[in-house]
Amino acid sequence: MTSQITEGSKLHSGSDKAGAGAGAGVGLFTPETGSSIKVTKANALPKRGEEQLGRSNHWEVRTEEQAYAYLPKTDSEIENRYGKRIDLVELTDNPVGRSMFINDNPAVGTNPDRNKQHGFFFTADNCIGCHACESACAEKNDTPAHLAFRSVGYVEGGSYPDYKRMNISMACNHCDDPVCLKGCPTRAYTKHAEYGAVLQDPETCFGCGYCTWVCPYNAPQLDPVKGTVSKCNMCVDRLEVGLKPACVSACVGNALDFGVIEDTPESREQCKTSIPGFPSPEITRPNIRFQQTKSMPEEMTRTDSMPVKYRKGKDGQYKPVIDQKVGKQQHWNLAKLNSRENPLVLFTLFAQAALGTFMVPFLAALAGVEIFELFMASDMMLVLVVTSLFMTSFGLFMSVTHLGKPFRFYRGFNNLRYSPMSREGLGLALFSAGLGLMAVCLLATNTWFSELLVSGFDIELSGLTLALPLVNLTLGAGVFAAIAGAAGLYYMNQCYQIKARPFWNHWQTVTSFVGNSMSLGAMVSGVMILSTLAVLSLPLLPALQLLGGVWLVGVALEAIGLIGHNRDLNASENEGGAAHYIQCTTFGKTYKLRNLMLTLNIFAGLTLLALGELGLLNTQGLASEPVGVNVWAFVAWSVIALINCISAVIGRALFYNLVIPTTMPGAFFWKNKGFEQHARDIGLADNPACGVAPLAH
Amino acid sequence: MLFGRKKRKPIVIPSKKVAQWKYTTCNYCSTGCSIEIGLNEQNKIVTTRGHAGADVNRGKLCIKGILEHELFESPGRGTEPLIRDKHFEDFEPTSWDHALDTTATKIKEIQAKYGRDSFAIVSSGQLLTEEFYTLGKLARGVIGTNNYDGNTTLCMASAVSGYKRSFGADGPPGCYDDFEHTHCLMAFGSNLPEQHPIIYWRLKEALEKRHFPLIVVDPRVTMLAQFADIHLPITPGTDCVLINAMLHVIINEGLQDQAYIDAHTQGFEAVKALVQDYDPKQAQHICGIDEDTIRNVARIYAKAPAAMSIWTMGINQSTHGSDGVANINNLNMITGNIGKPGGTSLSITGQCNAMGTREWSSCSGLPGYRYLENEADRNEIADFWGIDPEFFPKKRGLAETDIFPAIETGEIKGLWIVATNPMTSMPNTARIRKALEKLDFLVIQDVYRDVETNQYSHVYLPASVWAEKEGTHTNTERRVNLICNVLPPFKNSKPDFWIFNQLAKRFDNGQMIHFPETPEGAFEEMKHLSKGKLSHGGPRHLDISGMTYQKIEAARGIQWPFREQDEGLKGTARLYSDGLFPTASGKANLLPISFYNNNEQPCDEYPFWLNSGRVVEHFHTRTRTGKIGNCNKFSPTAYMEMNPDAAKELGVEHQSYVRLTSRRGDAVVMVQLTHRVPRNMVFIPFHYHDCVNRLTLGLLDPYSRQPAFKQCSTRIEPIDQDEAARINVERRAF
Repeated sequence: MTSQITEGSKLHSGSDKAGAGAGAGVGLFTPETGSSIKVTKANALPKRGEEQLGRSNHWEVRTEEQAYAYLPKTDSEIENRYGKRIDLVELTDNPVGRSMFINDNPAVGTNPDRNKQHGFFFTADNCIGCHACESACAEKNDTPAHLAFRSVGYVEGGSYPDYKRMNISMACNHCDDPVCLKGCPTRAYTKHAEYGAVLQDPETCFGCGYCTWVCPYNAPQLDPVKGTVSKCNMCVDRLEVGLKPACVSACVGNALDFGVIEDTPESREQCKTSIPGFPSPEITRPNIRFQQTKSMPEEMTRTDSMPVKYRKGKDGQYKPVIDQKVGKQQHWNLAKLNSRENPLVLFTLFAQAALGTFMVPFLAALAGVEIFELFMASDMMLVLVVTSLFMTSFGLFMSVTHLGKPFRFYRGFNNLRYSPMSREGLGLALFSAGLGLMAVCLLATNTWFSELLVSGFDIELSGLTLALPLVNLTLGAGVFAAIAGAAGLYYMNQCYQIKARPFWNHWQTVTSFVGNSMSLGAMVSGVMILSTLAVLSLPLLPALQLLGGVWLVGVALEAIGLIGHNRDLNASENEGGAAHYIQCTTFGKTYKLRNLMLTLNIFAGLTLLALGELGLLNTQGLASEPVGVNVWAFVAWSVIALINCISAVIGRALFYNLVIPTTMPGAFFWKNKGFEQHARDIGLADNPACGVAPLAH
Repeated sequence: MLFGRKKRKPIVIPSKKVAQWKYTTCNYCSTGCSIEIGLNEQNKIVTTRGHAGADVNRGKLCIKGILEHELFESPGRGTEPLIRDKHFEDFEPTSWDHALDTTATKIKEIQAKYGRDSFAIVSSGQLLTEEFYTLGKLARGVIGTNNYDGNTTLCMASAVSGYKRSFGADGPPGCYDDFEHTHCLMAFGSNLPEQHPIIYWRLKEALEKRHFPLIVVDPRVTMLAQFADIHLPITPGTDCVLINAMLHVIINEGLQDQAYIDAHTQGFEAVKALVQDYDPKQAQHICGIDEDTIRNVARIYAKAPAAMSIWTMGINQSTHGSDGVANINNLNMITGNIGKPGGTSLSITGQCNAMGTREWSSCSGLPGYRYLENEADRNEIADFWGIDPEFFPKKRGLAETDIFPAIETGEIKGLWIVATNPMTSMPNTARIRKALEKLDFLVIQDVYRDVETNQYSHVYLPASVWAEKEGTHTNTERRVNLICNVLPPFKNSKPDFWIFNQLAKRFDNGQMIHFPETPEGAFEEMKHLSKGKLSHGGPRHLDISGMTYQKIEAARGIQWPFREQDEGLKGTARLYSDGLFPTASGKANLLPISFYNNNEQPCDEYPFWLNSGRVVEHFHTRTRTGKIGNCNKFSPTAYMEMNPDAAKELGVEHQSYVRLTSRRGDAVVMVQLTHRVPRNMVFIPFHYHDCVNRLTLGLLDPYSRQPAFKQCSTRIEPIDQDEAARINVERRAF
């Protein structure tokens, strides 16, 4: 072992968090052996004219193909640094020589290493940012200008002339723990034993874009024109004949390479899992390795609009920190809240409101609160259930309109095993089903409906339903709906607990979702319950106080969440902190307004509740007023409820608009969100060759 | 089973279904990469790939080459000839006959009225060599104007001039293989990763096999500068001072190769005397490179067993362009680095066929590096073409950059522009616009109807592009390579070769001179003219007589000289290996290069250097790459690199717009803040119409007449952002 290699391995184990972290595992991989696996030159090149000899027909090998394009022969490791087997076929019960059926081709690839996990190797020291890899990928995969399976961005630092730019070429890392595969509700993703390739089928995909949320590397590409996601396919057709992927073969900086994972390519001396700008490998255990030996400035900035830069820590690793790109001034930018995420704003708010609308009175009745028991027994319960059902359906409909392929919505439940989105969908669907069932049962006992049937169709319903245990059925359906709804809400929250999106990955999401369910639910159900009670000349104050209490808890919960969120993200230097920085600047005034509304509401609600408890809201002694509650109290509660609606919409719109993913640095134009928005705003994007797709779906 | 999936989803990967591959050479830059175009069963072009067996690119292509097959059907292509009376009227489509008849009649009219030279022709480095030869024949032998030049005056003229002054003839003496042998490489104003990515790759391969010092002279921290062992961030326009100071160190420390100097050069004493004035102590204050570094670099270079220099526009596009080239040649001759493996003066050429036009277009004289000034050359060509030698002028006429001022003064009344776009590419756009407006008659022959210069034409001739034609290119290392005809011309466009032939028929001399029907026929004429000795008896280096299309394709390009009697398929890798130069004495000229500062310098009023250059995804004025989305998306609109410290002082923000002003005009660009450029410099890619060249001065080199695009001064003004955005969109038709 040469001294150089020793140094490489030191870097590998010492400065590499991931590698060090894995040391605790059981894996056979050690840093030393990792570096000792050095890929040697590919075997003698085939004779001219015999390039295809002994190779399968998946790809035509060029006449006189060069050594750089062939995958080298290698003695690979048994396990990778995370302790995962590299030969993946041993993890499956598949036969070794099965076909991948690429484009329905039954031939079996002739690559001897085809069942081993492969990955890219990026020598960051060498990338010149020439776009050859990107264009080779675009050419091979026929991708339109506005999307790319591989993109090159850069970070830069230093001061002229001591200036350094580091270009980063990134595609899919075909991770050990493919969060895209797990997140996808349609099961469009497959991790193949062959090459460990994580491949996605656009024909299965319904374009929800959830995989683009969870992937930390921006690998899956949602095409707003086609409405589906597609991504890097590892060029498995080339791999089958023993050629490296098209991007690697095209690289003119000798930066991009490819091979069995943990193999260090010839003439490389380092094999580490992170470079500045690359998200923590702990999220997905990506199958990419790096060499980056040249010293970089302590601070590396991004040229794109993301308010994130990277600073070298004491351990030599670069960590994201906030880059105050938009200064400190606070703005409204209310128009920017109106975005393509609108359907999701409506979906989550309506679904949460629907849950609360049903759950608050139902649970109160179950708990034996008399006034709610009375309400549940009333004809208006049907209206409430149907209202909740409609709100859920509207929410779900909104979520479907957010899909690139709305008519494939039914595929949303295909990945219950892994995807929180599937489970969320199922929970809400079952909630709707429970509500539907409950509505049917309530219909049978509903006096208005019975009268309608008798007068209109001369049907006596009670005769048909008398034998059925309707009360128990109603209750059972309600309990079922409540459980399903709670599960739906739980997984709705789980959908946003994403490591790649630290702004969401916080308990504030829980408090917001639950809080909104309570406050909006109390409001919607309150309107119905109080009006029913008023008509029935029943005392209103107990109901008002309870609903007000629920509302207040909901709002307070949200406020507590926001305080925690603000505290944690202010202390955070990662993309979550950066998103919060945008929240406090670009949307600073809007954010403040929402918080102000929330605070005022809490005090107003508290005051009203206290006045109620003190009996000050009663219209004492005035028997002529059956309502029994001061009219001004209703007015006050109505104003508070309205303000709450506004603050909930603003809050949710901020939630979706602000999130900054742990994504790869972009370039000045390409993969720069700021430029994309500008190009759309001014009309440059009307030219398709601009590479910025209009945001329609 | 991974992640519980028993059933795999189907794998669908686009398949191009190539039925046959056709050989061609890239039509963008001068690297000369071999490309195979893939056609499917229906003979439709579906893909391109680098030819793995070609020595130049060894299977690699840059972004432009990878996507080149997408250009055939891109928007804006000319579909039929167009005609109009006045430039402010609308075009009418017309027939080829009418368009060519009108053109011929107008040329004759103008020449009859104002003299033969009042009609000028400006061509390009983009055509095929056979087309250049034919155009030269048409211009020199048929139309007979002496005001005939190519846009190579904007890119390579200084290299040509410098080579001629030093070695007695044009022609880069080195090759890419020199990277494999050199022990020190010095790059002057050459940003290979951006401009010639495949040459960069050849260099990188050599460096990875065996590291040698890489020294980069560039005022910007380009990727090459960043990767260099030593980066010299020079003050713009002062390369001659740096080289003189290096020569001062080399000569005064006795590091020169005196044996080589004595045997193969003349003029050493004059150079030695001159460089005494360039002590690094004084030179450092002019060129901005400190004394120690100058000495260090000079010693490394002189002591290397073999050292080479490459350069591109950083040298050529300057008021000292020709001098800079001659001085680089001085450096290499004094260190004995000419014509040996790894020791050379290699200009990295710009356009795909800049070399072809230099060799055969007759722009600067007569075909095959012949001179109008030389009677024997005039007689030889006149005899071969079958015309009276007196038809030729006895001295070269105006260069491209002098043709436009001659339109201003009224000397030139008619102009034919072939495959170039001066409205975007020439310095001082306002002046060009005014000149074009003044013309009585302007013909534009171009692949694209929307080429900006077409705004002022009276006749537009739609030309075919690249593999719609057949012929050859010569690359940076003198390699002649073949473009096969892969597909028929687009709509009613025609190959330039056909257009020249048809126009020739409409003139008296055109009836007398033979114009071969095929490019290969023209190639045979060129081969014939490349044989034999120079007029002073030396060997003719530009000898292609051993080549045929078949041999060129089999070899994937052959480097000249490749003579009739040469066997095999290998041409000559290096010139002057025998130490014999095509000068009268056979010795190369060491030329004392004194520096004078005539650049427009930053001042109080215009405090920034204005620098311009290329980006990898675009070529020239974007008529091609601007329409290929996967190229264009990386820089779809104009931008300017600016130092963040300077920006802070002026309150300029990243990704906002500014208005730049100079003594010529103004431009609106988006700002990219980066420490890649110094505090007193801004850099703007030149590809965009109505952008940087509205500002540039383009002072001319006294020898090459090449404009100094890269050295002038500018000022930054604020602009209303909405207004700027509107202007930006309006100026980007593509």
